Amino acid sequence: MNRPIETVETAAKTAPTETQDLRDPSYLKIRDVVYQISGIYHPEEKLYLLAARCARRMTAVKAATPSEYLDHLTVRGSREAELRLLLNEITIGETYMFRSPQQLEALRSVILPQILQDKAALGFKRLHVWSAGCSTGEEPYTLAMFLLELKETLLCGWTFDILATDLNDNSLVAAKAGIYGEYALRSTSDLLRRKYFKTYDQNRLQAGEELKSLIRFDRVNLTDDSKMTFLKGMDLIFCCNVLIYFDLASKRKVMQHFYANLLPGGYLFLGHAESLYQVDDRFHLMHFPGAIGYWKPPVGYVAGVKR
Amino acid sequence: MSLLDVIRPRIRALDAMPSVPAIVQPLAELLREDPDRVNLDKVVELVSYDSTLVAQCLRMANSPLFGRRDTETVRGAVLALGIKRVEAIVLGCCLNRIVPPDKWALDALTFWRHCLGCALVSSKMARLIGYPDPEKAYLAGLLHDVGILVNTVTCTEEYRRTIEQARRGRIRLHESEQQSLGFTHCRSGAILAEQWKFSLDVRAVIEFHHDVVKSVTARPLVALVHLSDLLCRLRELGYGYYEAIGVDLAGDEAWSMLLESCPALAKMDLARLTLDIDGAMDEIVSVVDAVFRPEAIAAK
Repeated sequence: MNRPIETVETAAKTAPTETQDLRDPSYLKIRDVVYQISGIYHPEEKLYLLAARCARRMTAVKAATPSEYLDHLTVRGSREAELRLLLNEITIGETYMFRSPQQLEALRSVILPQILQDKAALGFKRLHVWSAGCSTGEEPYTLAMFLLELKETLLCGWTFDILATDLNDNSLVAAKAGIYGEYALRSTSDLLRRKYFKTYDQNRLQAGEELKSLIRFDRVNLTDDSKMTFLKGMDLIFCCNVLIYFDLASKRKVMQHFYANLLPGGYLFLGHAESLYQVDDRFHLMHFPGAIGYWKPPVGYVAGVKR
Repeated sequence: MSLLDVIRPRIRALDAMPSVPAIVQPLAELLREDPDRVNLDKVVELVSYDSTLVAQCLRMANSPLFGRRDTETVRGAVLALGIKRVEAIVLGCCLNRIVPPDKWALDALTFWRHCLGCALVSSKMARLIGYPDPEKAYLAGLLHDVGILVNTVTCTEEYRRTIEQARRGRIRLHESEQQSLGFTHCRSGAILAEQWKFSLDVRAVIEFHHDVVKSVTARPLVALVHLSDLLCRLRELGYGYYEAIGVDLAGDEAWSMLLESCPALAKMDLARLTLDIDGAMDEIVSVVDAVFRPEAIAAK
């Protein structure tokens, strides 16, 4: 089951306590504010996770009750900054390699076979993948390993590359270096570690040349029209927990770009609790076993026709 | 002679099995009354005769999935759950008993998690889109796959192979059934539903949930349960394995069918509903394990 947030150490340490009365209706209101603004959704049964994240921010801003903290998020002058800080708390620890095995499984068993079949019919044998908002690089290296593991089978005869972009220069430096400790590698098997990484120091591994040669790192602002216009021809875009920081107008703009950047039949993937509800209605929400993706249907796609 | 002719008498025989408790008939008669005039004392009395039913009603009434009431009495549980929900619980219990413990092909817990999940998603979706009878949606969701129980009892060994074949090929169960048995759980379920005198709407759901366009009665309900069923199978509440499928739910023919009578479907937040299913998963597993685990039943 894909329940990555719960596996994060910080959440485990802050299970519901007596001071967090989850029946306090303010938590539902905070949940709704977070969902409305960021698109990150906590079902009622997972409110304790949100409460745990709020608890840290409540201590920081000295809010005594959830209701008081709700004020910080909704009526105070600093509400936008506070929401950003809360979102940072919510997404802490979300980044490690092979974080969404079901997403990769959907790619392997359903999505890639379809895309490859459609492209091969047109005579193309090249696949372009984009990690938009790659942070410190865990996602693009995961995708690189995933694709390389398929090169003898599904991707036999195909070439592929990964574009990894971020706005933050520090993140990009770290991503290019590709040095990771146990936390980032927690779900990476020994086999893959040996195959694609080299020892960096006692506690850390560094991505090897085969991985690095597949990935091109670049600084891109997702709302920068001039740059976004040129990133065409993508088959898959991954944009995890990035849009959550944008206002609705910017989200729509980025989605317009993503839609244009994708080839027909391509997919956009967001963070596992992110929703595009009321942000974009051109992408089709596609369900795969344990994963969802946003699909740009090919020209002439008629709803109801089974693929 | 078709395979269905072979199976029909076997299904009829189910009706006479001693494991079908006597409670169904009197309860159905009680519930035929107008909801406001149902004799609650009689319902409580009937439920109280059966310790499994008592346990299940109490567990459900105290589950956050149904609003959690902190109730300790059968009467309190029946009041908290409502008469319709009690009827669903009774039917679920009775159906579970038609399968001897050693005959399960798909294991009992997997099966009931799927049914309970589908019931919950159906009633939740019904409320979200303004379908007028969420309780009927719950019952239809719970019972839509009774044919799997019929196949389990009537074709035990063949059916184990059928399920194994579906699991290995990651294909839809009803397709695997069609290939190996020559009929699907929709057909065999419909025969049982007729025997057990389920309402026409629920019978339509049982018969057509994998072939929605063929249904004549209760088309919105059939479409709604079809979509819930699909969603559950895509979120670890399926038949114990993942089918290799990608589904555009809004492009499904059932979606268009449901849209005709429930236009609010177009505005439904599908991603959120999906995350709600994930959120409810632990409790669904816990409820089903508590009431359908063979040891739990044997201990009663």
